[in-house]
Amino acid sequence: MTDDRTTLAMLSEQLADAVATAGAALVAVHARPRLPSTGVHWKDGVVVTTEGTIRRDDNIEVTLPDGRRIPATLAGRDRGTDLAVLRIAPGSLPVATLGDPATLRPGHLVLALARLDEGGPRAAFGAVSATGGKWRCWKGGEIDQWLQSDLDIYPGFGGGPLVDAAGRIHGVNSGGLSRALATTIPVATVNRVTAQLLERGYVARGWIGAAMQPVQLDATSRQRLKHEGGLLLLSVEPDAPASRAGLLIGDVIVAIDGQSVEGFDQLLDVLGAGDVVGKKLRLEVVRAGQPVSVDVVIGERRRAR
Amino acid sequence: MSTTFLSDPAERLRASVVGIANRARGRRAAGAGAAIAWSDDLFVTSAHVVTASHATIVTRDGRAVPGDVVRRDDERDIAVVHAPGASVPAVATANPATLRAGSLVFAVGHPFGVRDAVSVGVLQAVSPLPRGYGLNGKGSFVWIQADVRLAPGNSGGPLADAQGRVIGVAAMVVSGVALAVPVPDVERLLAGIT
Repeated sequence: MTDDRTTLAMLSEQLADAVATAGAALVAVHARPRLPSTGVHWKDGVVVTTEGTIRRDDNIEVTLPDGRRIPATLAGRDRGTDLAVLRIAPGSLPVATLGDPATLRPGHLVLALARLDEGGPRAAFGAVSATGGKWRCWKGGEIDQWLQSDLDIYPGFGGGPLVDAAGRIHGVNSGGLSRALATTIPVATVNRVTAQLLERGYVARGWIGAAMQPVQLDATSRQRLKHEGGLLLLSVEPDAPASRAGLLIGDVIVAIDGQSVEGFDQLLDVLGAGDVVGKKLRLEVVRAGQPVSVDVVIGERRRAR
Repeated sequence: MSTTFLSDPAERLRASVVGIANRARGRRAAGAGAAIAWSDDLFVTSAHVVTASHATIVTRDGRAVPGDVVRRDDERDIAVVHAPGASVPAVATANPATLRAGSLVFAVGHPFGVRDAVSVGVLQAVSPLPRGYGLNGKGSFVWIQADVRLAPGNSGGPLADAQGRVIGVAAMVVSGVALAVPVPDVERLLAGIT
């Protein structure tokens, strides 16, 4: 046998080992008609999957690696990041071994895993395609790292993990966040959202109760106030944080908490932070050409369901 | 690791893969599907590739060798073609049941007419299809399910393990998953043919 054949057989064995290792912490989630989705046993008694695959709130069951089917309860769901968290009886199966997605670079070999029934884990194979920093997906949630791969997310693979060649889990794959490539919700985002879902059943996002539009400041104001632009208030809801703080239609918010604001992204970053609700933040506002400071106590955004 | 990756096992397997088409009188056969040399003149392919009782094997060096369909199982989608004088090197086989999910597999075929094209991926399962993957009642057969790209023209060609041993016969794609008929089912059909 030549060296090449040995090396290739070893790679094949290593990939199969990675599937077996990570697969021991996977369940099939039965929360929709026909095809189950995949869940990762993230912490003891806590299963993470994608929100889009949870079609009912009750009568949810999971299939364990040993084939047993046990009940699960929905702890919470977050549409913004496409994550849902289930509780199951502790000690039901091994807990996932997590990796650090920051160590993944384009070209690294990775696997997408699934469990669809009482059979073994299933695998798809490919490479990391692109990585990057924090981004906001079209569903509105904040994703801590950009992590895309050329893996095929087959039916039922949603909610399953992205696994490296050593079997470490780097996040949860979602078929719903991007069309062209498989998108992985990285460990940090899963940890952050899971903590909130376990604590209160949803992810609290900040709200000030005003409609806004990004605008450029005029040349004199730009020079005088050292800000390029801001968010122009178009309407202010009654009995909302903005109106209680005395913000007026026509005000231009140029900074929040000392950070310049020129568009929605900076505002959403502030309002999306996990602990922002109830906090008092200082807004720098241009009102009738004059700089004004306004303190706003951030409220909580009403939820869709 | 050397940069040759799969090229050695792939090259050996490609030598045992031929094109195959229904034999139409007076017309030169085109490569409609692939077939695997089980011995030097006995070829295995998909039943849906050879719908008539005669078929023409097209070897890698361009010889068209007439053959007869000697066995077929339309239900399992496997056919056996005897083409005397073809003299193509026979494949080595392995039972897919010995492979674990995530093991490397590769396919050789003629996707969209591209001769002897190699595609690579991993094994998903060797089992009936999961509930929810519809296949008109055939989902209860044991299928090799793999994350590997197949296209029209791969039908009848081999799916092999990392060492180039054939584990199944490429049959179709369902819900994006490549399906192949496992070697033990092929050998059941071959039983008794010498």
